Amino acid sequence: MNKLVKKTLITAVLAAAAFALYYNFSLLPGYQDLEKGISDYIITYGLHDTGSLNLITAVLYDYRAFDSLGESTVIFGAVSGIVLILSRKMLPVSSKGLSFIVKRTLGIMTPFIALFGFYVITHGHLSPGGGFQGGVILAAISIIFSIVYGSAFDYRRYSPQTKTVLETGGALTFLVIGLAGIVMEGAFLKNLGFLTAERGTLISAGSIPYINIGVGFKVGAGLAIIFYSMIQKTFEEDF
Amino acid sequence: MTIRLIFSYFFMVSSAAFAVVTVLGLLRFPDVYTRMHAAAVVLTMSAVLMSIGTAIYVWEFFLSIKIMMIGLFFLFSNPMATHAIARASYKRKIALPKEYEIDAYSEYLGRDSDEHS
Repeated sequence: MNKLVKKTLITAVLAAAAFALYYNFSLLPGYQDLEKGISDYIITYGLHDTGSLNLITAVLYDYRAFDSLGESTVIFGAVSGIVLILSRKMLPVSSKGLSFIVKRTLGIMTPFIALFGFYVITHGHLSPGGGFQGGVILAAISIIFSIVYGSAFDYRRYSPQTKTVLETGGALTFLVIGLAGIVMEGAFLKNLGFLTAERGTLISAGSIPYINIGVGFKVGAGLAIIFYSMIQKTFEEDF
Repeated sequence: MTIRLIFSYFFMVSSAAFAVVTVLGLLRFPDVYTRMHAAAVVLTMSAVLMSIGTAIYVWEFFLSIKIMMIGLFFLFSNPMATHAIARASYKRKIALPKEYEIDAYSEYLGRDSDEHS
């Protein structure tokens, strides 16, 4: 008897879910050709709607900003899982690093790598690039510090606590801009109207550059944390 | 075709010639260190010449400056990376030159040169 009730309930729930899915699906417009589809709308009106010259950034951080929030949450979950599994202790295993020539050369080049990373992040709405790409370049600096100068140097400069603060700050920037969209414009992650300016300038395109900066710091710090927790107890030789 | 384009094509063609020499060196040299030497010296020259040619080709101030910065980056980073790889492979005894008469770096490291022959 109990089993029968349970089976009936399960069947009813499944039927309701199937009906809901079908009802949602039937609301979708049928496939039209490319001239009337969403891509043509974005190509035509994307610059006017968002003020971003880079249409991919416009899609990522304006039309589909909620999706990007989910992606950065996925990165957060990946970082948490890897740190939970791989990090055995928080103290770094030091190494002497590479030779003198490599250290001096990277001492000259590392500020320019950082400058390029910030350039890619802040010009995400004007030229190819954006938060994710620039964040990876920023993470490369931490990897360079760990390999070339030894992981103790990296620990002294940017300890894992600092990286955690940076990553959390990036995620909070994203969320605060989304909530500001609710307060000022009426929808979550809607483009903030008072930040728009002349097209093509550095500070324009509403809230897109600020979301870019937040995502950049989040991705950079997250990848650096992943690398840092993977290298422990593996770099002991002196090359 | 202006004289600027002729200069740019000259740089690009010489860069391509250097790249061909790099491939020949990678294929024909006998062991690891000489191959690394070919990749370091000639490929760096090829990349720098190609960036100079491209900078002359576009001929716009900020774009040319950016392309020249890429060339400068190659000029610093490629020999440095080759140095690091060669040094690591020598110290870890991954590739040792067996038939060299003079092996100064082994003596510098205090390693017996007959040990690995």
